[in-house]
Amino acid sequence: MRRTKILAAGAAIGLAAAVAGCSSTKHSGDTGSSSTGGNTVPALSANLKAGGTVTIANETGATWNCQFNPLTTNQQEANGYLYESLLYINPLQSSATPTPMLATSYTWNSTDTQLTFDVRSGVKWSDGTAFTAQDVAYTFNLLKQYNSLDTYALWTAPSGGGAGLTSVTASGDKVTMAFSTNASVFFYDVANMTPIVPQHIWSKVGNPGNYTNTKPVGTGPFVVSSCSADNIKYTANPTYWMPNEPHVQTINYPAYLSNDPANNDLASGKANWGGQYIPSVNSFYVSKSSNFHIWSPPVANVSLIPNTAQGPTANLSVRQAIAYALNRAQIAAIGEQGEEPAANQTGVVTPTFNSYLNSAALTASGYSAQNTAKATAALKTAGYSTSHPLSLTVKTVTGYTDWDADLQVIKQELSAIGINITVLDEADNTFTSDLQNGNFQVIMYGPPAGPTPYYELHLMLDSANDQAIGSAAQGDYGRYKSAAVDTAFAAYASATSQSAQQAALEQVETAMLNDVPLIPVVESVDWYQYSTAELEGWPSAANQYAQPSPWTYPDVEQVLLRLYSKSAQ
Amino acid sequence: MRFVVRRLSMFLFTLWAAMTLNFFIPRFMPGNPLQALEARTRAKLSPAALESILSSFGYKPNAGLVPQYFTYLKDMVTGQWGQSIGLSLGQPVRDIVFQSLPWTLGLIGLTTVIAFLLGNVAGIVAGWRRGGTLDSWLPSTLVVTANLPYYWIGMLLILVFATTLNWLPADFNYDPSILPGFSPGFIGSVAQHAVLPAFTLLITSIGGWILTMRNNMITTVAEDYVRMARAKGLSDRKIMFNYAARNAMLPNISGFAMSLGFVLSGSVLVEYVFNYPGLGYQLLNAVDNNDYPLMQVLFMLYTVSVLVALLAADFFMAWLDPRAREKG
Repeated sequence: MRRTKILAAGAAIGLAAAVAGCSSTKHSGDTGSSSTGGNTVPALSANLKAGGTVTIANETGATWNCQFNPLTTNQQEANGYLYESLLYINPLQSSATPTPMLATSYTWNSTDTQLTFDVRSGVKWSDGTAFTAQDVAYTFNLLKQYNSLDTYALWTAPSGGGAGLTSVTASGDKVTMAFSTNASVFFYDVANMTPIVPQHIWSKVGNPGNYTNTKPVGTGPFVVSSCSADNIKYTANPTYWMPNEPHVQTINYPAYLSNDPANNDLASGKANWGGQYIPSVNSFYVSKSSNFHIWSPPVANVSLIPNTAQGPTANLSVRQAIAYALNRAQIAAIGEQGEEPAANQTGVVTPTFNSYLNSAALTASGYSAQNTAKATAALKTAGYSTSHPLSLTVKTVTGYTDWDADLQVIKQELSAIGINITVLDEADNTFTSDLQNGNFQVIMYGPPAGPTPYYELHLMLDSANDQAIGSAAQGDYGRYKSAAVDTAFAAYASATSQSAQQAALEQVETAMLNDVPLIPVVESVDWYQYSTAELEGWPSAANQYAQPSPWTYPDVEQVLLRLYSKSAQ
Repeated sequence: MRFVVRRLSMFLFTLWAAMTLNFFIPRFMPGNPLQALEARTRAKLSPAALESILSSFGYKPNAGLVPQYFTYLKDMVTGQWGQSIGLSLGQPVRDIVFQSLPWTLGLIGLTTVIAFLLGNVAGIVAGWRRGGTLDSWLPSTLVVTANLPYYWIGMLLILVFATTLNWLPADFNYDPSILPGFSPGFIGSVAQHAVLPAFTLLITSIGGWILTMRNNMITTVAEDYVRMARAKGLSDRKIMFNYAARNAMLPNISGFAMSLGFVLSGSVLVEYVFNYPGLGYQLLNAVDNNDYPLMQVLFMLYTVSVLVALLAADFFMAWLDPRAREKG
């Protein structure tokens, strides 16, 4: 049943419950009240009254350690709640203008090698100290000083796969960053993913990499009211800079150790925000109340990765045969019970990234629908047929029951053309080890999402990520090598216009169709369940203002700022 | 005295052997803490940064196994247990253990004691009234329940009492919105949350005690001294408890000592099913994430508790039965 998002955590259980009438029983946290703040702010739901409680039910996998280091160990429970980044970039609407957060605006120079932020004035840290551009410059320089904090490799040279940041300086309300080369593809990491920490506190903590930060001071909309191994209770930050925000006054984030208890609490209404796979979600959850809703935007692919360096899948014809033989719609309908949509061979996730899809090329390639005739022909080229079948082992992760179901459908579809697959379920750590070391014939994997298709495809296909079979690679797990694709990724990274980026991505899509280095099967989605019984303002298919799952940061902040209590109005 | 020395030296040798295995076996598992962390962060973060995060918490990927082994032995003995490098990244292992220990001791420990007491009383009565009402249905039922998987019973109880009837909570050790303390609400909440997991364990573990006790009773009741007691005209109750049960219980007592030793490592799956944050759950997470520091401390605690329980049972039996002392 487990469909893990491990670093992500969280869940929150209903309020009160317990034994009623015990007046000496203290419940954690009181509500604070919001106050006014500074200058230009993003237009959110204004004029709403404060009140309401968000209770998150989402697998954490572990109990809380009640530490809130946003840069290393506690990104999940600190970012978006307590700490904020400079801008918010919505991965679901990557062409939209970023939302100003701690920075009010930004400018790139003409070559995308220098980035200047205007830092917001009137923001206070939750201890009352004023937030300044110095804090921003301090945070980025801290990442340079302590390698363990630089989780997005911003200071690493471009030759090592990093952004090539060379200096960050503050002057007045401006922060200027200089890069050794075009760094536009790292804009998401710099502006959106890096939380800003207060210099007046962090400069005194010793090694910030293992700083426990049990009394966090941030600029975010919430502060920690109480924390135990079982639950984090956040309450509204009374000095938050955005006027009349946040509306919701309390967040309970209980630590669910596995999916089933969290799913039960969502279905019973004890919790109102979920973010994990629920088997048969319609009968288990949606049908329980007219207030229960789901929306799961596709963000990346779940692919079969063929080993292109050795074994039978090094033969292009075999890879083509598999790609032709799959009926992806059927796999999505049966294996995923319709909860994840079918993927396509270009590797571009639809409808999220529709604008990047070269649909003409997809149709012309013949991969847009199952084609057993072409599959049989391709397999024959490789020397196999139903009378002389090819045997392949496909590795997957134990506990991902939907992937197991997908593979059963795939097994049937492939045996029809003459490929017998054996599914091997592996424990998490064995799976990761085999994936990185290239120890597989075919392996099923769902990489992380990014704001454009570039991020997933670059991770999966750029041979700069490559290692010899047997050594751990940090991407390109199938050991695919193509100079044309590498050049296209470089062209995307150095592009200064969206049309140039589009052209570069289309070259990658062409390689996906011609070389079949990956076989996308279904699209992985951001699992998301929400209840409108008490709260409104949720992201939905009609209003896709953020990635909606409670474990996605910093998106979680955008949701929390828009939620409001119906009964308080 | 020779008996005590022999037992103690055997205890120390077994402890050393077990701790050595505890060190090496986890390190021969596939994967390593860095790969586990990369998987958890979904390959989004720079591996160099992740490696230096782990190093700052004491992970030494490049140090040789032998020096690490001696450091490990020293650390285990001196209580320098280090910090987690798995899911609870950076949290001191000592904190994790002491925060989970009371819940496991409370839930599994108490349930073990209750199952032992209830099971013995039921076994005594059933064995005494052989062929009676109780005895005619109890053993056959228990053969079934004692062999049911306990996580399956747990899921069944959740389905009936939590999901369908909504009488009892199905997860957590107490209502997370209550601040822990000696308040009636907190204690009530703890008790309420313990009901379902405790019954799960009780249903599956009580059968063994009842069956053994019943069978021992039947054997003992046929002994001459019981016939003698009857001939003397003693009351049934007195014969049942003071003559028959007292002797029939002896084998169960050493069994009880051993099952107390297994309390700590007891019930990974019960804790998993009921979202109960005890030691068993921590072990599962530690193994899943190659969290060596946490894993080796938990294995050490399990080993020590089982060995201590066995040692105590040995001494107890020796005290009860002088022949055991002679045989050594």
